[in-house]
Amino acid sequence: MYTLFLKIATRYLFKNKLYSLINILGLSIGVASFVLIMLYVDHEKSYDTFEGSENVYRAYMDYQEGGKWVAGDANTYIVTGPTLKDEFPEIKDFLRFRYVNGVLLLRGNQVFEHTKGSLADPSYFKIFHSQLKQGDVTTALDEPYSIILTEALAQKVFGSEDPMGKSLKLMDSYGPIFTVTGILKEDHRNTHIKNDFLISFSTFRAWEVFEGDWERTWTQNVYYTYFSIDPNTNTALLQQKIKDFKIEALPYERHNIEPLEDIHLYSNKPYEAEANGSIQRVRFLFVIGVIIMVLSWLNYINLSTAKSLERAKETGVRKVAGAQKPQIVFQSLLESFLLNGIAILVAIGIVFIALPSFNTFIGKDLSLGISNIDQMLPIFGLVCLGSLVSGLYPAFVLSRYTPANTLKGKVNTSPVGLQVRKGLIVGQFFATIILLVGTLMVNKQILFLKDRPIGADLEQVVALHWQVLNLGSDSDSTLVQGIRAFKDELRNIPFVEKTATANTFPGGRYEDLGSSAGITFPNGTRDEKRITYNYSVSPTFFELMDFTFVAGGPFKETSRGYSNEIVMNERFVQYMGISEMDEAIGKTVRFWEQDWTIAGILKDYHHFGLKTGIEPIILRYAPSSNNILVKLDQKAMASGGMEQAMVQIEGTWKKIFPESTFNYTFLDQNFEAQYKDDKTFGTAFQIFTVLSILIASMGLFGLTSYTVVRRKKEIGVRKVNGATILQILALLNTDFVKWVGFAFAMAIPVSWYAMNQWLNGFAYKTSMSWWVFALSGFLALVIALATVSWQSFKAATQNPVESLRTE
Amino acid sequence: MLLQLKNIFKWVNSGGQRIFLLKDINLQVEEGEFISVMGPSGSGKSTLLNVIGMLDTFDEGEYHFLDESVHTLKEKHRSNLYKEYIGFVFQSYHLLDDLKVYENLEMPLLYKKFKGSERRAMVADMLDRFNIVGKKDLFPAQLSGGQQQLVGVARALIANPKLILADEPTGNLNSQQSEEIMQLFKRLNEEDGVTIIQVTHSEKNAAYGSRVINLLDGRMV
Ligand SMILES: Nc1ncnc2c1ncn2[C@@H]1O[C@H](COP(=O)(O)OP(=O)(O)OP(=O)(O)O)[C@@H](O)[C@H]1O
Ligand SMILES: [Mg+2]
Repeated sequence: MYTLFLKIATRYLFKNKLYSLINILGLSIGVASFVLIMLYVDHEKSYDTFEGSENVYRAYMDYQEGGKWVAGDANTYIVTGPTLKDEFPEIKDFLRFRYVNGVLLLRGNQVFEHTKGSLADPSYFKIFHSQLKQGDVTTALDEPYSIILTEALAQKVFGSEDPMGKSLKLMDSYGPIFTVTGILKEDHRNTHIKNDFLISFSTFRAWEVFEGDWERTWTQNVYYTYFSIDPNTNTALLQQKIKDFKIEALPYERHNIEPLEDIHLYSNKPYEAEANGSIQRVRFLFVIGVIIMVLSWLNYINLSTAKSLERAKETGVRKVAGAQKPQIVFQSLLESFLLNGIAILVAIGIVFIALPSFNTFIGKDLSLGISNIDQMLPIFGLVCLGSLVSGLYPAFVLSRYTPANTLKGKVNTSPVGLQVRKGLIVGQFFATIILLVGTLMVNKQILFLKDRPIGADLEQVVALHWQVLNLGSDSDSTLVQGIRAFKDELRNIPFVEKTATANTFPGGRYEDLGSSAGITFPNGTRDEKRITYNYSVSPTFFELMDFTFVAGGPFKETSRGYSNEIVMNERFVQYMGISEMDEAIGKTVRFWEQDWTIAGILKDYHHFGLKTGIEPIILRYAPSSNNILVKLDQKAMASGGMEQAMVQIEGTWKKIFPESTFNYTFLDQNFEAQYKDDKTFGTAFQIFTVLSILIASMGLFGLTSYTVVRRKKEIGVRKVNGATILQILALLNTDFVKWVGFAFAMAIPVSWYAMNQWLNGFAYKTSMSWWVFALSGFLALVIALATVSWQSFKAATQNPVESLRTE
Repeated sequence: MLLQLKNIFKWVNSGGQRIFLLKDINLQVEEGEFISVMGPSGSGKSTLLNVIGMLDTFDEGEYHFLDESVHTLKEKHRSNLYKEYIGFVFQSYHLLDDLKVYENLEMPLLYKKFKGSERRAMVADMLDRFNIVGKKDLFPAQLSGGQQQLVGVARALIANPKLILADEPTGNLNSQQSEEIMQLFKRLNEEDGVTIIQVTHSEKNAAYGSRVINLLDGRMV
């Protein structure tokens, strides 16, 4: 009997090709989108989860600002770990990281660039639950000058050789030698703090590059501190105690803790280990994923109930022939499973095909396979459950028909059923309009940010960075002389318009800025509470960046290449409480135990990008060996263009420092990179919007074909009574217009709220223009009408004789 | 003269063969006539009626309706013509299920640009004339077959057509109901001068008319 059921079901699906195709396509697009989004959401949520991760917390600093505590810094002090552990018995252990910046890894003469490493306490293995593939976790990070590598790095450096006990050189000005004591076991873990190698923390005291840092107990916060906490701890209480715990040396700071698992999605503090994810974005995408999935189920319900009208007669016959309700339900469910099953298979195919491009697109490495089967099971479980539920409704609708009516072919749609279907269509358009508003707003905001003047001209400006490997004994002066020679050489290149040196530049990284807690204003008052940022530049920097001075001017050039002159932005002057910009010129401020004279005031420019507001900032006159900025003259460039120009510049550099590395960054590209995530988000929004529109239209298309069939007689009667084609079209389409209008009215407040939330993440927001909503509604209407009209038109132009012929 | 058909041929092509639905029909209808079309099933009665009603086209011949040459008219003009002068009555009534009786009556007026007040007056008049005022708020499903056909005739008449085309108007009705409808047709024809062409299988019904046309295999006999 069951094979008969199956036979009927497959035959039915084959016979109704358009219906099956629309359903399978809609469902599989829905499922595929849902699975992809959930893979991403799962990935984002999986950061820093491992055995015991729920008991690991990260310490960070709160700063006092205007009488309030704000999360100030992801970095803590070298003694934060030991001090808090001694104070609070709940803290079982601590782990510190300190990034080793600006060093190169060398094996013999071979340079390994772009490696990132940290000093780490031996507790690393326990607290982060990491294992060694080779080496002994109890000793690997004990001895000074021990280094452990990730499997990937070990492979890169040593190939097939056994790395254990081998030497590696880290290139700073001193060139210490390290011994490999372990290889980390690859655990494919997502973590917010990524290291290619770890160096024993005990190296710290001996390593010249950190000389003196050991003594800067409460004056230098450049360490990440993690605690493992007793599982029975009331963490809210502990957090309060930690916040209340006063450090005498830090009157305007306090410690705070946050769960390790929350860092990636919830923490967005200055000096994070890497640009974190955003829970908001994850939520948005999650909602979109759910919307698309639900849309395609609604579609399915909608289509299959509409279709069931057509099958009412068949059902009637079967009921008269003795079929019981459960059997009819079973038949319908079977078909629904068959359809959904095929759709899920197609969806899996789509996911496999789309995953590589999806990965490139979001810059992640998501996978689908046996390895993450436990991750996939709940997702597919949900999909199957949804299919079951969406299959139930049409089944029961069918089973409810009474044979007497259905045999006469008289299934007047129950008003409830009609209401439900209308509701579904309204729901689909509700979602579609929200997505449309979202897409338009995200794009509008990105354009707004891109078009906003930042107060500096970054176009055609390149920052050159390098690492010199062999400078000989008097390293500093050799470097300074070399750089000077290089700058002279640059001036002889025709397409080099201007040059300058700078530690960082607009759009540069936080960690390249200097900072100072505490500053004395010209009037003698001292503000200890606020962290202010500064960076060093050469006098030519201002002209090169096309900065505008509102008072004073650039530093006076000195032969030494530095002075105590500074330039600050307007915001800094306001912060010091001086209202007239001119007044500040020549005045003295004091920080870093040194007096600085204000030479000029810059018109505010956006140093940090447009996600945050403008902050007070100081530019110091000091030589910097981090970046040489070059402004290129496009017109003077040879035919080879930019590429050619950069090759020529690199050649010049390598002539002076043969043993060195050379990189460059275009400032405008670098500045725009901060919107990368938003752009990705915007594109994702677009893609999924298009998909959901596609699904909704397919549903609508399917539904209209039934509406039209159902109203065929009515259309004929009306035409015979004088209705024109246009009037028939209006008759068939007004309903849809009404529904879209209704959906539109409901979608406005919801999308308004949602987009407001999203915009709150930006310091500079575009306006929520009325036309965004109007356009979304209009687009939805056009889409609905276009979908519907094709069939309405066919029905309206049909000869009424056909539809009125008496059976 | 209301209308004239001259040498009308209608055919369909099926498997390389030309099947004639109407063959050389010549018919002249004067205003005020009451004509019954008879013939066996499949003889082309409905086809002829549809051609006269301009719902269907023909392949050869001439058709003059009042002063117009229908065979030269564009689709749009044709539909304007029948909209103005012709009312249709169907065997299965073809009332709109979702509309109440008075809405069904009002429907054709909506397509003929009558003002709201005019429409209300015309509907009220019809309800009155057909004695169905009490039924005006009912849905078709709540009426008997005879009552439904009554509404159908009322609807065909509401815009004051010159010609009523009725395809087996009593085909679904019992004899008493049939009789009522035929009496109604007769009255309309005699008192109001409405021209009527009806298709019927019953000699009794045909007798109400002033002339009978017999069809056989698409040909007038
Ligand atoms: N579009 C068409 N294509 C092919 N044949 C058609 C078409 N329309 C009508 N016919 C055929 O033309 C013939 C006449 O049909 P018509 O409906 O006019 O008959 P009728 O006299 O009204 O019959 P009945 O008394 O059963 O209503 C029939 O044989 C029918 O099958
Ligand atoms: Mg007929």
